[in-house]
Amino acid sequence: MLEQISHIREEFDRELRESVDPSALEALRIKFLARKGLIARLFEQLRTVAPDEKPAVGKALNELRAYAQSAYDEAIGRKKGRSTEVRVDLSLPGRPRPVGTRHPITQTIEDLKRIFAGMGFGIAYGPDIEDDYHNFTALNFPPDHPARDMQDTFFISKNVLLRTHTSPVQIRVMKSQPPPVRVIIPGRVYRNEAVSARSHVIFHQIEALSIDRNVTFSELKGTLVSFVRQLYGSSVKYKFRPTFFPFTEPSADMYISCFICNQKGCPVCKYNGWLEILGSGMVHPNVLRHGGYDPRRYSGFAFGMGIERAALLRYGIDDIRLYFENDVRFLRQF
Amino acid sequence: MKISHAWLRTLVPVRLPPRKIADGLSMLGLEVERVSDEGARYEGFVVGEVLAKEKHPHADRLSVCRVSVGSEELQVVCGAPNVAAGQKVAVGLVGSVVPRNQHDPGGGSFTLQEAVIRGVKSRGMICSEFELDLGDDKDGILVLDSSAKAGTPLAAYLGKTDVVYDVEITANRGDWLSHLGVAREIAAMTGARVTLPAIRVKEKAEPAKRLVRVKIESAEQCGRYVARVIRNVTIAPSPPWLQQRLRSVGVRPINNVVDITNFVMLETGQPLHAFDYDKIAGGTIIVRGAREGERFTTLDGVERTLRKDMLLICDMKRPVAIAGVMGGSDSEISSKTRNVLLESAWFEPVSIRRTSKHLSLSTEASQRFERSVDIEMTDHASVRAAALMQKLAGGEVLKGCVDVFPRRPRRRTVRLSVSRANALLGTSITGSAMAGFLRRLGMTVRKVPGDALSVVPPSYRSDIAEEVDLIEEIARVYGYDRIEPDPNVRVGLVGGIGRGLADEVRDFLVGAGFQEIMTNSLQNHDHAALAGGNAVAVLNPVSVEMQVLRTSLIPGALDVVQHNFNRGAKGLRLFEIGKVYWRDPSKSPESLDAFHEEERFMMILSGDHFNQHYTTPSRKYDVFDLKGELEALLSKFFLDKYRLILYDNGSPLSVDTLTVEIKGTYAGLLGCLRKDVAAKFDIREDVFFAELSLNLPEVTEIGKRRYEPLPRFPSVTRDLAFIVDEEIPQGKVVDAIREAGGELVRWVTLFDLYSGEQVGSGKKGLAYTLEFQPVDRTLTDEEVNGKISAIIRHVEATCGARLRG
Repeated sequence: MLEQISHIREEFDRELRESVDPSALEALRIKFLARKGLIARLFEQLRTVAPDEKPAVGKALNELRAYAQSAYDEAIGRKKGRSTEVRVDLSLPGRPRPVGTRHPITQTIEDLKRIFAGMGFGIAYGPDIEDDYHNFTALNFPPDHPARDMQDTFFISKNVLLRTHTSPVQIRVMKSQPPPVRVIIPGRVYRNEAVSARSHVIFHQIEALSIDRNVTFSELKGTLVSFVRQLYGSSVKYKFRPTFFPFTEPSADMYISCFICNQKGCPVCKYNGWLEILGSGMVHPNVLRHGGYDPRRYSGFAFGMGIERAALLRYGIDDIRLYFENDVRFLRQF
Repeated sequence: MKISHAWLRTLVPVRLPPRKIADGLSMLGLEVERVSDEGARYEGFVVGEVLAKEKHPHADRLSVCRVSVGSEELQVVCGAPNVAAGQKVAVGLVGSVVPRNQHDPGGGSFTLQEAVIRGVKSRGMICSEFELDLGDDKDGILVLDSSAKAGTPLAAYLGKTDVVYDVEITANRGDWLSHLGVAREIAAMTGARVTLPAIRVKEKAEPAKRLVRVKIESAEQCGRYVARVIRNVTIAPSPPWLQQRLRSVGVRPINNVVDITNFVMLETGQPLHAFDYDKIAGGTIIVRGAREGERFTTLDGVERTLRKDMLLICDMKRPVAIAGVMGGSDSEISSKTRNVLLESAWFEPVSIRRTSKHLSLSTEASQRFERSVDIEMTDHASVRAAALMQKLAGGEVLKGCVDVFPRRPRRRTVRLSVSRANALLGTSITGSAMAGFLRRLGMTVRKVPGDALSVVPPSYRSDIAEEVDLIEEIARVYGYDRIEPDPNVRVGLVGGIGRGLADEVRDFLVGAGFQEIMTNSLQNHDHAALAGGNAVAVLNPVSVEMQVLRTSLIPGALDVVQHNFNRGAKGLRLFEIGKVYWRDPSKSPESLDAFHEEERFMMILSGDHFNQHYTTPSRKYDVFDLKGELEALLSKFFLDKYRLILYDNGSPLSVDTLTVEIKGTYAGLLGCLRKDVAAKFDIREDVFFAELSLNLPEVTEIGKRRYEPLPRFPSVTRDLAFIVDEEIPQGKVVDAIREAGGELVRWVTLFDLYSGEQVGSGKKGLAYTLEFQPVDRTLTDEEVNGKISAIIRHVEATCGARLRG
C-alpha cells in the first residue's frame, strides 16, 4: 500500500510537470483530486489495510492528499496570474538579417591604414595605367638595364604600361608638393606572370614614403620595428638584409621571426624560421631629383609590401587565387 | 647561380663552415637560397669488393654475392648481369637512401632495408649509375676502379665532397656571376685575401699577330677584343677534375676546349668564345654592326634575322658569331678542330641586352655582358684559358695576343663625405673605419682634407657611381644589424588618413548585409564588349582571358554570380568597389592623356531573398529590393540631391534601366540583366544590378553638411487617390504632385497600387499620403485645400488622371 502511494505521487508529479495549460490542469485535478479520483480511491482501500499498518499508511495518504492539493493550487494560481501575458517559445528562430563582409584584402589594407595613420602618415593614390617614366625611369631603372627584368610588365603601348608597383606614386606625390612628405600609397599592381597558387597577374601593394631633413636609415629601422610590432605583436623578432632595388640605396629586406611555427621550421617559412615581409631602403638621390627635391638637403625612406602575402600569413590562406574567385563560402569567413 | 665551395677555396682561404659562409653572404646581400652538401647524399654508401658470386638457388637471373665493405662481409642479392667476383662496386648499406629507384617510373628515392629475396637474405645493394644519380645507365651495376679500397666512403671515392651554394644574384652585381666575385665577397667578410691561380704558359716563338688580325668597326659597342691562337690541340673529353668542377655547378661537360672556356668564365666572370681557327676566313676578325634583315644561323641551329643595332663578329667573308650572345655553327669547335682562335672581349651592356631581348636568346655569356664584365679581366681570362688548353688539350700557345683596346676607360673617383654617410645611416662610424671597409672591397681609398675620402672603385665594380653607392657598401660591411633602430620615430605635422566616399559606401553596404568581392581588372574581350566603351588592351597578355581592362564592374561580377550559383549558393548579395578604365581613341596611345580611370561601386542581388523565415513565404529578390537598397544609400550620402530617371540609355546589359543622377550629373544606372546576357553566363536566376561612379566631383562634399533647423510648425497630412492609364509610370504622377505642390510638400508616399474592376480595364489606381510641412507659419485648412486642388488639377492635366472619390 505504501508502495502504491509513492507510485501515485510520482505519477502526479510527472503529469503536473506536463500540464502547461488550464485544461490539462483540470484533467489532472479530475484524475487525482476529484471525489472519485485516484487519491479518494486509495482512502477507500484504507479499510482493507491490516490494523497495525493503518496509522502509518493513513499518515502517508493524508500527506499525499495535502501535497497534491497544494501543488495543484499553486499551479492553477500561477496559470491564472499569468493569463493576460502572451507566451512565446523563444527557441523559435529569429527573423534573419543578411550579414555583410569585407573582402580579406580590404580588411588587411584597412588595418594597415589604421597603423600608419597612428604613425602620422597621410595617404596618396595614383593611376593603374602609367607611363615608362613614372614606373621605371624616374625610379632609377635606366633604360635597357637588367633591373627592368625584376618586374615583368604588361604594356599598353611602347610608352604606356600597367604599373608593376605602387612606387610611381612616389614621383607623383613629390611633384605635387614640397617636402616634408609622409604618405602611404595603397593600390593595385600588375605583373605579367603565370597565375598559380603563389602568384597572380594582379595583386595589391602598400608602400610608405617619408622625406624630410635628416631622415636616417636608423629611423627607417625604428619605424619598421614599430610597425611590425603593432601588426604582429611586440614579441616578434626581426632582421634586415641588404638587397637591391633601383629606387633605394641602401636597400634592405626585412624579415620577421616565423609566428606560425615559432621558428621551429614549417613550410610557410621554408624551414628557416624567418618570413620575408617587406622591402625597404633610403630613397635614391636620383629619385629625389626626379621628384624635384634636392638630395643634399633632404633624405627619405620608402618601404613596401604585398597585401596578398600579408593577408595570406594572417589568415593562413594557401592559394592566392582564392582572393579573386570570390566564393561566398570563402568571403563569409572574414 | 650555383657556386662550389671547393672551387671558392682555390681562390680565397675559407675557414668558416659552409652554413656560416651562407649566412654571412646573405647578410652581405648575396642571398644564398640553398646549401646542398653532396657528401651527405652518399652517406651510407661505400666501396665494396665482390669476394664471390654464386647463382641464386631459386632464380636464374639473380646472383648471391659475398661483398667485403672493409669492416665486414655482407651477403647481397644482385640482379645485374655484369656483376663478377673481384670487382670493386658501390654498395648501399641498410638504412641508406638510394637517390633514384630504377623500378619506379618517377625515379624517386627510397630507403634500403634488409630483405629476403626468393628465400635468400640480402643486406645491402650493389648500385647502378642510375640509382646513384651519376648517369643514365640502368642495365648493369657501376664498376669502380680496381684501385678503390673496400670500405672507403663512396663520396670520398667519387670526389663528391663538395658543398654547393645556390645564390640569387641581384641585377646590379654582374661581378657576382663568378666564383672570383663570390670569393671577393668572402674576403670582404673575413678580411682574407683573394689570390688568382698561378698561370704557367710556355708560348711558342711564333707571334699570334702573324696569324690573326682584329678590326673593330663599332668601337662604342666593343670596348676591347683580345684574340689568342692555340695550335695543334687534341679535342677529347676533359680530365675528371674539370668535368667534376663543371658538373658540381650544373654545367654539362662537352670537350676539353669548350669546357675550358666555360670553366674560365665560371671562375673569372669573363665569357670566352673558342672558334675553329681554320674556319675563320683570312684569319681576320671584324667586329661590326649587323645589316638590317641580315640572317645568321647560331650554333643551336636556329636561323635568326638581325637588326642593324646588333653587333656581329665576322671573318673576311661572313658573320661567325652574334657578339656576346652566341656563336655560329660553321665555326664552332668540333672533334676535328686542330687550331683554336680564342676570343675574350668586352661588349657594351646595353647593346648586348637589346640583342638578347630582341632575339629572345639569353645565354650564360649575354647574361654576364649585359651586367658588364671587368674590362681589366679580358686578357687575364684569355691567358688562363690558353694555359689550360696547353696543359689539357696538348695545344701550342702562340706568342702574345692581339689586344685591341681602343681606349682604356678612366677609373672613376668617387668622393665620400664621412659626415654625410653617418647622417644618412644614423651612425657614428669613423672615417678610418669606413676606409677600412672600402679597402676590404678592393677599393683604393685616400683621405682628403675635410672629412672626406677619395675612393677609386676596382674595375669590376661598375655599379659604384656616386657617393650613396659607397654608403651602401659601408653599411653592408659594417652590418645592417649593427645600425640601431631609432626609437624616436617622427610623426608628421600634416597628413592623417581621412575616410573617402568609397570607405563610407563600403561601410554602409557591409552594414546592409552585402558581401564584398574583388575581381580581376583584366578580362577577355567578350566581357569588355558587354559593357561597351573603348577598352584598353594589353599588348602582351598572359592569356586571352586576361587581355583587356574592364570598362564596367558588372561582367566580372557575373562570373562571380555564376561561380557561386554553380556551387550551391541560393541567393547572392554582392558589391565591389574598384576601378574601370577606358581609352580615348582620338589620342596617341603613347600618352597617358589617352587613358582614363574611374572608381566605381556596383551592387548585385540575385536568387532567393535572404529572409527565409517560417512566418514568411520564401521569395526571390526583385528589382525593388535593389532599388530600395540603392535609394537608402543615395539618400544617406546625397540627401535629396539625387534623382532616379526612367530612361533607356541603351545599355547592352539591361532591360528596364533607371539612370541615377547626382546633383544633375549622370552617376550610373540600375537595371535588370538581359536574359540573353544571363544565358551567356549560364545564370538561370534574375540578376539585378546597379553601378555608380565614385569619382564625380559633385559627390565629394561628404562631411561638409550643414545642420537644418527642426520644424517649429506642425505638418499636415492628406491622402489622395488617382486613377490613371496603365502605361503612365507612377513616377510621373509623383513628379506632377511635386511640381504643383512646391516646397510645401515634404513627403509623397505611395501606399496603394491597384487594378481591377473598380477602376476599369486598362487603368490603375494610385493612392498617396502627402505631408505638407510649413517653415514659417501654421497652415490653415483653406491653404491646404487650395494646394490639394492645384495638385489635382495638375495631375489630371499632365497625367490624364482622374481623382478617385
